[in-house]
Amino acid sequence: MAQETNGNANGWDSAAIAQLFDPKTGWLDRRVHSDEGLYRLEMERIFARSWNFMCHESQIPNPGDYFINFIGEDQVIAVRDETGKVNVLLNTCRHRGNALCRAEQGRAKSFVCSYHGWNYALDGKLIGVPGQKNYYRDDIDRSRLGLVKARVESYLGFYFATLADDAPSLYDFLGDVGRTGIGMICSYGDVEVVDGIQKNIIDCNWKIAVDNLFDWYHVAYSHASASTAGFLHLNQILHPNEQMVMLGEFGHAISGPGVPKETQDKIDALSDEERLAFPRPEQSNMIRPRRATELMGPVGVRSNGHPNIFPNLWITMGGLQICLRLPRGPSHTEFWWFTIVPKSAPPPLRKAMIQQATHIFGPAGLLEQDDGENWSQSTRSTTGYSSRKVGLALFMGLGHDHVTVSDNGQKHIDTCINEHGQRWLYRSWTEWMAARDWAELRKTRTPVPEGVV
Amino acid sequence: MAALERRHAESLSDMSLAERAALQYEVEQFLYDEAALLDARQYREWLGLLADDIHYWMPIRRTVMKGDLEFEFTKPGAMAYFDDDRVLLEMRVKKLEASNAWSEDPPSRSRHFVSNVRITEISGSDITLDACFHVYRTRLNSEIDSWIGRRTDVLRRSGTAFKLAKRHLFLDQTVILSKNMSTLF
Repeated sequence: MAQETNGNANGWDSAAIAQLFDPKTGWLDRRVHSDEGLYRLEMERIFARSWNFMCHESQIPNPGDYFINFIGEDQVIAVRDETGKVNVLLNTCRHRGNALCRAEQGRAKSFVCSYHGWNYALDGKLIGVPGQKNYYRDDIDRSRLGLVKARVESYLGFYFATLADDAPSLYDFLGDVGRTGIGMICSYGDVEVVDGIQKNIIDCNWKIAVDNLFDWYHVAYSHASASTAGFLHLNQILHPNEQMVMLGEFGHAISGPGVPKETQDKIDALSDEERLAFPRPEQSNMIRPRRATELMGPVGVRSNGHPNIFPNLWITMGGLQICLRLPRGPSHTEFWWFTIVPKSAPPPLRKAMIQQATHIFGPAGLLEQDDGENWSQSTRSTTGYSSRKVGLALFMGLGHDHVTVSDNGQKHIDTCINEHGQRWLYRSWTEWMAARDWAELRKTRTPVPEGVV
Repeated sequence: MAALERRHAESLSDMSLAERAALQYEVEQFLYDEAALLDARQYREWLGLLADDIHYWMPIRRTVMKGDLEFEFTKPGAMAYFDDDRVLLEMRVKKLEASNAWSEDPPSRSRHFVSNVRITEISGSDITLDACFHVYRTRLNSEIDSWIGRRTDVLRRSGTAFKLAKRHLFLDQTVILSKNMSTLF
C-alpha cells in the first residue's frame, strides 16, 4: 500500500512547518487555516496518527450495534461483535472500495457490500464472496481480505481508535490532562449518551473551532446576546480573573474558569451529602462529588474549564456535552454534539440537562449561533492574497504566567483570561506536522512546560 | 362564519365540502400571514400568534437502513435541534431583536413557503394540520441555506382568530448543511 510519508510531497518540509507558529512571540501564519497541502498532511500526520474518539459504550450496548464515525476523512464503523468486543473497521470494501455501511447508526448481523455482495462479519472478517467457487474458481484467500481494522482502546467507557501501530496506549496518549478531561464527565457517576447527535457543517477550518474552545476572551463579546435574551448571565460563568490552565501531553489542554484553591480546600472537606446541599449561585455547575478527585486529581478537580483532547474532541460542562470537529477540507468542518447524562440522574435533572444542552450549543443553540459567523469569516479571509499574509496574534499573557507543579505531579497555571491553551495547540500542531512518525514525535515534542510561560 | 364556529368541535367527516373549503381557506390565510411576519422580521408580532403552551420542536433525523426506520427521528425527551416552549421562543426573539446578536446583524433575508396543507384532525378548538415547508435564507453576500421538510401544526381557535399551539418540524436534512439555524421556522 503506497503511503504518503514525506511532507515534501505536499510542499511542506519540517523547517517550513516549524515557521508557521512562533511560540516565543505568539504569531501564527494564517496558511495553517487554508493551505491544501497542509490539510492533506494533517490527514496523515495528525488524524491517522492520533487516537480519535469513536463513541461511548452506551451508544452500542448490544452485539451488532454500530455507529459510523471518522478518522480524518476516513469513514469507519464502530461496531460491537458477538463476543462483546468493539471493533473499528474502515468502511471500504476490499474488492472495489464501496462503502459497506451507508447509515449513520443501527444494528447489523454482518456488513454486506451493495456492489457485489461481499459479506463481512462484525469483526471485519470476510465471510462470504458470491461466486467464490464458480467465478473465482476458489482462487481467493478470504483470510487476507478482511476489512482494515483500527486499534481500539477505551477509557471510562469512551472508545477511541487509531490507525497508527506505533501510537502509545490510549491511557498514555491521554496523559494527566486528557484523563482529567474525561474524568470531568464521569465524576458524577456512570454516564450514558442521550439519543440524537446534533450534526452540522460550518464553513471554517477545524482548528479555528479548537482554538475557540480555549478562548474565554470572546465569550463576553461574541455571546453578549445570550445575556440580552435572558438565556444565561455570562458574568456568572466567566470569572475572568479566576482562570486556570492545564497544558498536557501531545497537545491536550484545559482552559477556563477555576475554583480558587482556598474554596476548593473547603469543598474537599465536605461529604457528598454536604456537597449536594451546598448553596451555589444559579447556573454554576453542581459541586462535584468526592469521586471527582480520584478521576481528575486534586488540581484538576478545581477546573471548570474546557478540555480539548488533541486534536479535535472538546468537552464542555455547559450541558455535559462533547463536540467532535471533523475536518471536511481546509475550509469546512462537521460538528457533532454528543449529550451525556449520569445514569443516576433523577428524571427532572436528566430533563433539565437535556434541555440546557439543546438550547446552548448545536446549530440552533443560543450561544453557538454566533460562533459560526465568526469562524466562517475568519476562515474566508485567509483566501485573500494580502489578508493571508497578516499573521494572527496569540500573545495574550505570554511570559506573564507561571506553571505550578503540585506534589502529585499535576501542572497548572492560575491566571486571568489568557491565550496559553491556543499557543499550546498550535505549538503541538507544528510538532505533530513536522514529525514523520511516533518515534520522532516522542523525541521532538516540547515537554509540558514548567516555570514561566 | 357562525356556522363554522358551531361546527368546529365536530369531526371533519361531518362537514360539507363548502364548510371544509371555508376552513381550509381560513387556515391557509393564517399560515400565510404568519409566514409574512417572519419574512418581514416582525418577530414581536409573530410571538403574538403563539399559544401560551406552544411546543416548538425539531427532532434530529438520521440516515438509517429500512429496518431501523423507527429510529429515523429522535423521540420527545431525547436530543433535538429545537425543543422550545414560549419562554424559549421569547428568548430567541429577544436575541433576534438585540443589537449584539452578531449572527443576525447584518440580518439574514428569509422567505417562508408553506404548501400541501392538509387538515387532518379537529378536536375541540384544536385543528391539526400537516404541511410542507421551505425556508430559504440568504446571508451576507453569498451564503444560501435552504431548509425543506414536513411539519405538523396545531392551530387553536380563539374567538375569530387562531393561536399556534404546536409546531413539530421534520427536516429532510440529516447533517444540517448550514453554519447555524438562527432563523425561525
